[in-house]
Amino acid sequence: MTRSIARVEPIRPTASRTLPRWLARLLVYLVFLLAVVILWEASKAIFAIPDYKLPHLAQIGEAFFRPTPKGPTWLILLTDAAYTMLEAVTGFVVGGITGFLFAVLFVHAPVTRRGLLPFVIASQTVPIIAIAPMIVVGLGQLGAPPWVPKASIAAYLTFFPVTINVLRGLESVNRDALMLMKSYAATHPQIFFKLRLPNATPYLFTALKIAATASVIGAIIGELPVGSKHGIGVQIVIGSQYNTFNPGFLWATIVMASLMGIVFYAVVALAEKRIVKWKRET
Amino acid sequence: MPIITVDNLSKIYGQANASTVALTDVSLSIEKGELVSLVGPSGCGKSTLLRLIADLETPSTGAITVNAKTPHQARLARDYGFVFQAPTLYDWRTVVRNVELPLEIMGRPKHEWRERVDKMLGMVGLREFHDHYPWQLSGGMQQRASIARALSFDPTILLMDEPFGALDEFTRERMNLELLEIWDQTHKTILFVTHSIAESVFLSSRVVVMTPRPGRIASVVEVDLPYPRTFETRESSRFFELITVVRETLKEEFIRHE
Repeated sequence: MTRSIARVEPIRPTASRTLPRWLARLLVYLVFLLAVVILWEASKAIFAIPDYKLPHLAQIGEAFFRPTPKGPTWLILLTDAAYTMLEAVTGFVVGGITGFLFAVLFVHAPVTRRGLLPFVIASQTVPIIAIAPMIVVGLGQLGAPPWVPKASIAAYLTFFPVTINVLRGLESVNRDALMLMKSYAATHPQIFFKLRLPNATPYLFTALKIAATASVIGAIIGELPVGSKHGIGVQIVIGSQYNTFNPGFLWATIVMASLMGIVFYAVVALAEKRIVKWKRET
Repeated sequence: MPIITVDNLSKIYGQANASTVALTDVSLSIEKGELVSLVGPSGCGKSTLLRLIADLETPSTGAITVNAKTPHQARLARDYGFVFQAPTLYDWRTVVRNVELPLEIMGRPKHEWRERVDKMLGMVGLREFHDHYPWQLSGGMQQRASIARALSFDPTILLMDEPFGALDEFTRERMNLELLEIWDQTHKTILFVTHSIAESVFLSSRVVVMTPRPGRIASVVEVDLPYPRTFETRESSRFFELITVVRETLKEEFIRHE
């Protein structure tokens, strides 16, 4: 009996034969970064864009490392970013769990799905920027600590993709895989934990990657209304107020904010790689 | 006493005004330890019959007994293992964990798992691949794992729904020999659905020939080829004669409906 094993080898670019893989990857990033730099500075020169509309990249760098009485600017921004990140992660966790529970409810009680799903969808069509101040003020009056409204907005943006994707994952179970469970006389909890849930895991991670960036945005939006004291959102507001005098600083806060989203996304993607390791590599 | 009996069974899908008769007036009895094939063109209800016996669907009229129980009781008693046309392995489980699945669901003691799984993997020749994920296996290996899974909890009956239908002919012929070996080792009662006449004759002691519109049993052909059957069995003249007998039945039925 011949026993052969079909292992799929990933097709590697020819460059990686001579260069180590990580170095090849890094080079790709650097080339694209360079292209952005050239495009940025070229459009500024060609269209004569003033600094307050689009500063030089060097100005952004300078603003980033500028010393202040409280320490270098990047350290202050990092402290605020950490604060925002805490709000975002809290919202991400709460929203993720809520969204997941909604999906489980919808799949097991179709009547709740018919009744509630339209409201869930409608909730996402509400412009968050318009209701953010109400949430911040409202929860503040109820005596909630200042991070609570921010985390709430993050959760609000997080639960939706999780609900929709997990719902799909729980439902897209192969019919024969379900019949197999039936043939074993499996209980409903067994079918859920041993079939539906693992089947939904890749869908869950797709949602969590979307939610990771959305939760950061949500927390920042919550920090924009007047009265907030901490967070990268506060720095963005300050940056836009003083933009004419200090054109690099606003962009430094923006860079910090997007770095947060990228880091959060990368962490979730790494977790996915660890947990969904049974997937065929593509 | 037969292990499976089917009595005046019919299955109708849909409402009265737009119904399809999948099976009508089917009666059959299978003895313990037999290997019986259900063969016929698509739409003849052979898979439906298998699923009715497995209590994966419910009959419209008629009665079935499995191990002297109703199909429902037999399913709850885990009297049969089912093999689907697609291997239906769970992607997130390695080969071992897939074969363990029924033992896990049925709450068998853990020390039993390893022993049973090891035995089954040895039987289907997959021991070396125990820690592979399904996508890393060929189609034939996936179906072997699926058979190991169906037998891991040692049911008395094995129900197989075109298990080798998606495999290439060479693999299929090898799998047929392996299945006969498994049958010889385990003495299970096997009910095997196929649309290949040659496969049905090669494997079974009796071939139940079914015809469509409406699905029913046209004839039952006794296969008197001696066991153990080998590669040479396929070259014997009796093998071809029996294939012709089955084919003739299908042809007659076909002409009658023209």
